[in-house]
Amino acid sequence: MKKLFYTAMCLVVVVASSCSKVDNYAPPSSTLSGSTIDEATGQTVQTEIGGGGTRVKLLETSYSANPTPYYFQSMQDGTFNNTKLFAATYKVSVEGPFVPIVQTDNTGTVTSDASQTIVLKGSATVNFKVQPFLRIEWVGKPVFNADKTVTVQVKITRGTNNAAYQLDVTNINLYVSNTQYDGNNNYDPRYSTLVSYSGSTGTSLLGQTITITTIGGAMPAQDVYFRVGARINAGLDEYNYSTPVTVPYP
Amino acid sequence: MSNSNQQQIMKKYKYLILLVFLMAGIQACRKLNIPPKNIIQDQDVFTSNGGIQAYMARLYSELPIEDFRYSPQRGLNFFWIISPTPATTGEALSRDQTGSMQENLGGWNWNFWGGSYTIIHDCDYFIQTLPKYASTYSTAQVNAWLGEAYFIRGMTYFALVKRVGGVPIVNTVLNYTPGSDVTDLKVPRSSEQAVWDQVGSDFDFAIANLPAVNTDYSDGSRANKYVAAAFKSRAMLYAGSIAKYNTATLFDANKNQLCGIPASAAASYFQKAYDAAKILDGAYSLYLSAWSATDKTAQYQNFINMFFDAASKENIFVREYNYPNSVHGYDAYNVPRQLIGPNGYSSEVNPSLNFVEMFGGLPKNADGTLKTLDASGHYILYNNTMDLFANAEPRLRATVIFPGDAFKGQNIEIRRGIYTGSSAGGISPLLPAGSRSQYPLTNLVISSTSTQTAYKLPNGTLMNPAGLSGIFTGDQTCAISGFSVRKWLDPNLPTSQAKENNETQTWIEMRYAEVLLNRAEAELELGSAGTNGANAADAFTVINQIRSRAGATLLAGTGSLTIDTLRMERRKELAFENKTYWDLKRWRIFDKEQNGTIYKILMPFYSSDAGKFFFDARTDERNDTYTYDPRWYYEQIPQGAIQKSTNLIQNPGY
Repeated sequence: MKKLFYTAMCLVVVVASSCSKVDNYAPPSSTLSGSTIDEATGQTVQTEIGGGGTRVKLLETSYSANPTPYYFQSMQDGTFNNTKLFAATYKVSVEGPFVPIVQTDNTGTVTSDASQTIVLKGSATVNFKVQPFLRIEWVGKPVFNADKTVTVQVKITRGTNNAAYQLDVTNINLYVSNTQYDGNNNYDPRYSTLVSYSGSTGTSLLGQTITITTIGGAMPAQDVYFRVGARINAGLDEYNYSTPVTVPYP
Repeated sequence: MSNSNQQQIMKKYKYLILLVFLMAGIQACRKLNIPPKNIIQDQDVFTSNGGIQAYMARLYSELPIEDFRYSPQRGLNFFWIISPTPATTGEALSRDQTGSMQENLGGWNWNFWGGSYTIIHDCDYFIQTLPKYASTYSTAQVNAWLGEAYFIRGMTYFALVKRVGGVPIVNTVLNYTPGSDVTDLKVPRSSEQAVWDQVGSDFDFAIANLPAVNTDYSDGSRANKYVAAAFKSRAMLYAGSIAKYNTATLFDANKNQLCGIPASAAASYFQKAYDAAKILDGAYSLYLSAWSATDKTAQYQNFINMFFDAASKENIFVREYNYPNSVHGYDAYNVPRQLIGPNGYSSEVNPSLNFVEMFGGLPKNADGTLKTLDASGHYILYNNTMDLFANAEPRLRATVIFPGDAFKGQNIEIRRGIYTGSSAGGISPLLPAGSRSQYPLTNLVISSTSTQTAYKLPNGTLMNPAGLSGIFTGDQTCAISGFSVRKWLDPNLPTSQAKENNETQTWIEMRYAEVLLNRAEAELELGSAGTNGANAADAFTVINQIRSRAGATLLAGTGSLTIDTLRMERRKELAFENKTYWDLKRWRIFDKEQNGTIYKILMPFYSSDAGKFFFDARTDERNDTYTYDPRWYYEQIPQGAIQKSTNLIQNPGY
């Protein structure tokens, strides 16, 4: 028993001594917020949540001239907010379905760089004026048909005159989901209408009112959100989106 | 034991311990100039054939090839294959793989980065050290072994570059002295093109130095010059495809192109692929041992036998297994449900209807889909489920088990349910065309598990609602697509032996059919690049050789051979051999094929009223949606690798 007691005491000493150091570095508490804004309309650029949407890239230049980038995702509506950043100097840019903030030519030379450098302490706001590849606007509200399918109308236009991004439209999809977080990574395949285009077929729909109806027969009697996404094969092939809307079940 | 006794023993121990300490202390005064006896030294390894063989055994066992023990989810050399590769490409559906994926390179069970560079290090070490012991062996022998080391290093760079693009090229052994600066050890990524060229030059060295027959092992499990040439044709074809079809780019600060190859380089890579494939002319041949030009059953049997005949002249490079040291469990995971092994599993790979529709010999609609309805829109009725497949291409039958086909002496029974409604005037489709809903349960008897309650047919006989191999709606351990995989399944393996970690069937990584397909593809790509149009005729001949062996209808003329028909041929011939994943990737069509895609299945039903079978073609009942993210063409470099070597630049989008 005595032996056991001494062993236990020894352990206590060892354990207690390893507690002596105080980890006194303050947790990150600075806030960076902002948004990606369509420079022509002033609206934020809609995107999808998760890895397939707009993200913010931070380069902590106060730490190294060539730091490993730190990324965080934008919210679906094109705004972003991170409240757990260390106070430091950051070179900030955004990546998403719009003409890149940092552009390089085909030999790797940086041709333009609209990144913003900020000294973050407390909180800061950075807004980026961008040119989305495509702009998707609702024409009226989604309408329930007699057979309980839903028909929507949208108008898609290009958001940029940049010659390098006048590529053909490859997909125009109507996403249906029971949450507002509706997009290419979250939709109900039973009702969503996905259409791929080859050649200039999709491009010829630009500027026109496009009518899309859900598939799969009658919609279930529950809250349903609709969102239209379209893309060109540029960058990481991300989608541009309309805002999510819902209509009451008749 | 008494107390005094204990004390005495304690005392004894004290002296003993003192003695040991004293002895150890005296010993420690000696200078340590004897090589440690428990560590194998270079001269132990490099001075005997046995030592070299042991070194080679390790290199070959680590060789990164996608064999029976590979899946994108769990990586290379892993025993548990329940998220099979074909279920990521659309070739098949699996209950455990429900969508597209990039490989899980950062997974705990796949040391992708460290593992690859360990192999490269071991090859570098071998290449640097063997010449010091060259006098022990003949020059030819030394060259052959060096050729093997270059081959394995080339294979490893190939495995790296096809996944992540440009990687660090490390062709000398890096040494670390404790306390020294490690900056030089953080080798940055080279351009993608430089790595493909490295792969090409390693294979060139191997081709030049390896003999036609490996003198240590002539069975294809170790490299000879033709093996190196065959892999060179594969690698250069990949490089050419990337130069031609890739659009993603990434540059480092010094303008090295880490991702992507200038399109202008495409033709030279295709030319290299063609030249390398031509080296094998006459050295290998398509397997035709049991084949007959007029007998479809013989063609079918021949295609099956090919995967089991060790003497096949089609086998170029194989991986052999040995119980219990190196084993796999392909049959355990993939046998049809009714032949389930003693430890469970079965039916992991269920070929999709999309895959089956690629083949000939089936009744088709004008749009190429399988014909299941008659002109009036009612189901076509069959006396037997095999009637639909009576004229199917023999290669398809050797690749896929149809509902009702024979395997291991049993009829593999696959049935979705019994339709009890009237058949008068024909049976209308159970669901509207294109519907993704569940089947309505009126007039339908189904089984949720393999424990079934038999249904009494109008004539009084009993019939189980589902077949012995499915489909069970509540238990996906069954042929969920209506088909079960046939390729690689051993027809002679007793069911009691269909266990994981128990099988030793040889994996054929490279066979001559692929070399022919490489050659034809390179020829077509060169033709369309306008430099070598005359080769279209040779490509046509080659493809017809493969189609003839398969029992397929031959192509009518060179005009009918387009790049699309050639790709289709490749996907059919090499299906379920873990090649399609890489082909879809290098052609950069993965994201086009898997773009909100739900694959199709074929559900056999029995009509109790008609006493006949009918088939319903529909989309996967589980509504598993496949969307391939274009970022995955350049996979994510494991975060841990970048933390260790901070000069590594991550691929775009991660």
